[in-house]
Amino acid sequence: MEATNGKTKAGDWQNFERILLPPIRDLHKLDVYEAEYDGYQAIQKVLKEWEPGEVVNEVKQANVRGRGGAAFNAGLKWSFMPPKGDRPRYLACNADESEPGTYKDRQLMEYNPHLMFEGILLANYAMQMDACYVYVRGEYVDWIDHMERELEKLYAKGYVGENIFGSDFSTDIILHKGAGAYICGEETSLMNSLEGKRGYPRIKPPFPAQKGLWGNPTTINNVETLAHVTLVMRHGADWFSGIGAPTHPGSTIYGISGHLNRPGVYEYPTGMLITDLIEKVCGGMRDGKKLKAVVPGGSSVPPLHADMIEGVTMDADSLREAGSMMGTGGMLVLNEDTDMVTYLRRVNHFYQHESCGQCTPCREGTGWLEAIVTRIDEGEGNLRDLDLLIDLCDQMEGRTICAFADAAAWPVRYTIERFREDFEAKCKPAVFDTGGVTISA
Amino acid sequence: MPTVTIDGETIDVSGDKPLLQECLNMGTELPHFCYHPAMSAPANCRQCMVEVGTPVRDRETGELKLDDEGNPEIQWMPKLMTSCTVQVTDGMVVKTHRTSEKAKRGQKDTLEFLLINHPLDCPICDQAGKCPLQIQAYKYGPEGSRFEFRKVHKPKRVKLGPRVTLDAERCINCTRCTRFTEEISGSCQLTISERGVKNYPITMPGQPFDDPYSMNTIDLCPVGALTSTDSRFKARAWEMSRTPSITTLNARGSNCYYMVRDNLIMEVVPRQNMQVNEYWLPDEERVGWAYERFNDMRPAHGPELRSDGELTPVSWERATDAASKALGAVDPSEILFLGSAHATVEDNYLLKRLAEALGADAPRYIPHIDAGHDDDWLRTDDRTPNAQGCERLGIHPIDADVVRSRVEAGEIKAVYVLDDDPVGAGLFTEDQLDDLIVVLHYYNTTNQTLPVTDVALPAAMVVETVGTYVNDHGHAQTVRPAKTIKEVNRTLMMATGKSRPDMHGTPFDRWHNDDNQVDCLPGWEVLPMVAAHLDIDLSYKGPKAIMAEVSEENPAFAGATHEAMGLQGVRLEDVGEPA
Repeated sequence: MEATNGKTKAGDWQNFERILLPPIRDLHKLDVYEAEYDGYQAIQKVLKEWEPGEVVNEVKQANVRGRGGAAFNAGLKWSFMPPKGDRPRYLACNADESEPGTYKDRQLMEYNPHLMFEGILLANYAMQMDACYVYVRGEYVDWIDHMERELEKLYAKGYVGENIFGSDFSTDIILHKGAGAYICGEETSLMNSLEGKRGYPRIKPPFPAQKGLWGNPTTINNVETLAHVTLVMRHGADWFSGIGAPTHPGSTIYGISGHLNRPGVYEYPTGMLITDLIEKVCGGMRDGKKLKAVVPGGSSVPPLHADMIEGVTMDADSLREAGSMMGTGGMLVLNEDTDMVTYLRRVNHFYQHESCGQCTPCREGTGWLEAIVTRIDEGEGNLRDLDLLIDLCDQMEGRTICAFADAAAWPVRYTIERFREDFEAKCKPAVFDTGGVTISA
Repeated sequence: MPTVTIDGETIDVSGDKPLLQECLNMGTELPHFCYHPAMSAPANCRQCMVEVGTPVRDRETGELKLDDEGNPEIQWMPKLMTSCTVQVTDGMVVKTHRTSEKAKRGQKDTLEFLLINHPLDCPICDQAGKCPLQIQAYKYGPEGSRFEFRKVHKPKRVKLGPRVTLDAERCINCTRCTRFTEEISGSCQLTISERGVKNYPITMPGQPFDDPYSMNTIDLCPVGALTSTDSRFKARAWEMSRTPSITTLNARGSNCYYMVRDNLIMEVVPRQNMQVNEYWLPDEERVGWAYERFNDMRPAHGPELRSDGELTPVSWERATDAASKALGAVDPSEILFLGSAHATVEDNYLLKRLAEALGADAPRYIPHIDAGHDDDWLRTDDRTPNAQGCERLGIHPIDADVVRSRVEAGEIKAVYVLDDDPVGAGLFTEDQLDDLIVVLHYYNTTNQTLPVTDVALPAAMVVETVGTYVNDHGHAQTVRPAKTIKEVNRTLMMATGKSRPDMHGTPFDRWHNDDNQVDCLPGWEVLPMVAAHLDIDLSYKGPKAIMAEVSEENPAFAGATHEAMGLQGVRLEDVGEPA
């Protein structure tokens, strides 16, 4: 694919200067953010000089692709909002980061929360929102406390609230703590949860832009997406789209975990070669073991076999071609000692535990998948169980209200497809009854 | 009007109903659990899946695109759609399980999932035999299960409230019950707790599910998860005959089915009538005593006469003769005729005719008003089913003070009571009636007027007679006998047969056995017998003929023939001052 002459879509990534998480001490504090990072300059400029619609166009043009997993053009999403009418309009910032293997939003909220707040203000202005609800994963207690304090400062300084920065635009930011359900990161169930209801996903249509929070027009964006909006408005769409992969521009935060020498959170441009991330960024496989599998974007995306990653870059298009997805950019790297059955068992357990139980196929299917994989993992499985697993995936995918069933079924389908030998090795050998004479196959 | 093609059949649709409802209306059965026409469609059971396609239109002109053969080009949705959430649009093409293997497979798969953690305890489940899950699993489900693991265990025998018991393992989480309390009754008492496969409906901790309409969730429940605390494990669905009728504990006359086995009313369940109660029934009409009054509280003997101070069983001939002698012994102006808002229009009409023939004052009825009971829905302050019918006949509420002073003054020598309890209602004390001749048509042995009654005539109740009731909105409805009485009455026998869709009900219901039959008679049979002894001709062929005459003569009952009322009743004209 790319990777000719050592050049990748990520360009000169070795010398990349971090833009989301720049190395500035105490950047999470408002005064530092303002003094050393041009904080809240973009919003002030936009409030004075830009029409809301122009901001939407700029973000659309920059092609900021949603960092929550779907990689949808954020500006395009914003343009789905109906024209401003009598009803209130809301932005919801999805900070309910719960996908296993993902911890990028947490870094932003810990080290650069004001980038997110400024992005929220820009988005609120662009779409003329009355308020933004930041739905933060409940376990992020320290950062919620910290952001609450920073938000108070913002209100005190008139950056948020009535007539922000002396303009005639007023908007609010409300922090909301989640109660620990993975499903509340799904945008419609996030809205239900915010409304105080059970976190059940809603049927689409109506889409949030038509009927969202309390029935009003709503847009939901990921923390990282909104942080990028600030950068786009600060430096311009052209600057932004020049970074990283052309079709999926910008930098992104890679949360890389697994059997590596230096696992961790790294900010680099999109379009990084997976091999570069493993070998050069993370210092190669731990103990010199061989690579077995890469799960590029959180546990719900299809895992890639080691054979499949040559030349694959971390952007939506390349990963789709390779047979996986960008997801959240939370990359899981597994070495040759990993038993993919055990890996899948753990993933299945997560989805079984987190299924909200609203739709039949997901509620019943996730548990059944786990039960079968557990049985195989314990050496009690049969080869026919593999066919049953694939069959159950067929029965779940695309048959539910939200994409949770898909997210639960894909790892099963693709882990079996791509690592079948691990499963076959653990299954009991097929036994055919041939009338008294038993033959093992 | 939009048209939609379902399995090759093109029909006109209103367009304001979801596809599932349109399919059901046209007679195409689609399996479903969570959908109910009166409530929102959460599409969570994923059972009613079909293939949906829409015609392709040219973006510029808006014209339909045609294929090579000149038929509209159809763009099929990539996924199966839940028909309960599909809004029908013009030209839509739908393939159900009848024509689409994909839809058939989808429905089968969902049923397989639904059954893996369902306990399948149908042999002891009250819902068996009328269970949508059971029926639809047989029709559309897989032959067997591939699930080889322990089923999930959840709470069983949970007393949600005074009337509803939950078996959470049977629950398939369709949320009909929680949506009922949120959207219909408004009490919001039920919610789903826990997550994923462990979830089940429950109340808030410490809060009882005491919604006055809580038992509707039992009928809504598509499995046996919610059962009636009162009637669970008492009778299987197939052992009971089902008679369409109305309830009589208030003036709304909500439509119901009386479920009968061996001439005992086992259960009362709602019957749909969009003009009266829609799909619902208040709990008060179906808890224990509401139907046990038809069973255990009935008189053990037939008619009785007081001799030597004791009520002694006699024949109907002697009893009616005694009643007529009582009436004949005093001056007609000294007789107090009490009609009844508990009794049918037919019985009250005959009583009025009898009073007129004797030259006595027109009958009055005792109002039973329970102020504050009205909830602006299916419960009314009036606790009788037929006050409106009495009014329309010209039988008005009794003026208690006037009549009491007349009794005190000795102006009344005989009281003839139709299906009511003047002592229990507080109209008279026992002492006041002690010296009077009292003839009483009564339902239950709990009637407090019995100790001072001289002629006691057990009367057929709503479940044993044929007759007409008019609800507080002027909706006239007929009832049919759900159980048989001891006497042989051709009219009732015919009506019993006709009242059940399968003529005589289930073979498990021994309705012809005289166990549990009550020796009582409907007013329209007894009153003509009494009148005959007084040489007054009140003979009719039956209640149908009486109603034909009433609807003919009385403009307040115009159109209210038994034929016209059928199973849904007719709304009577409001004629202002009744005749």
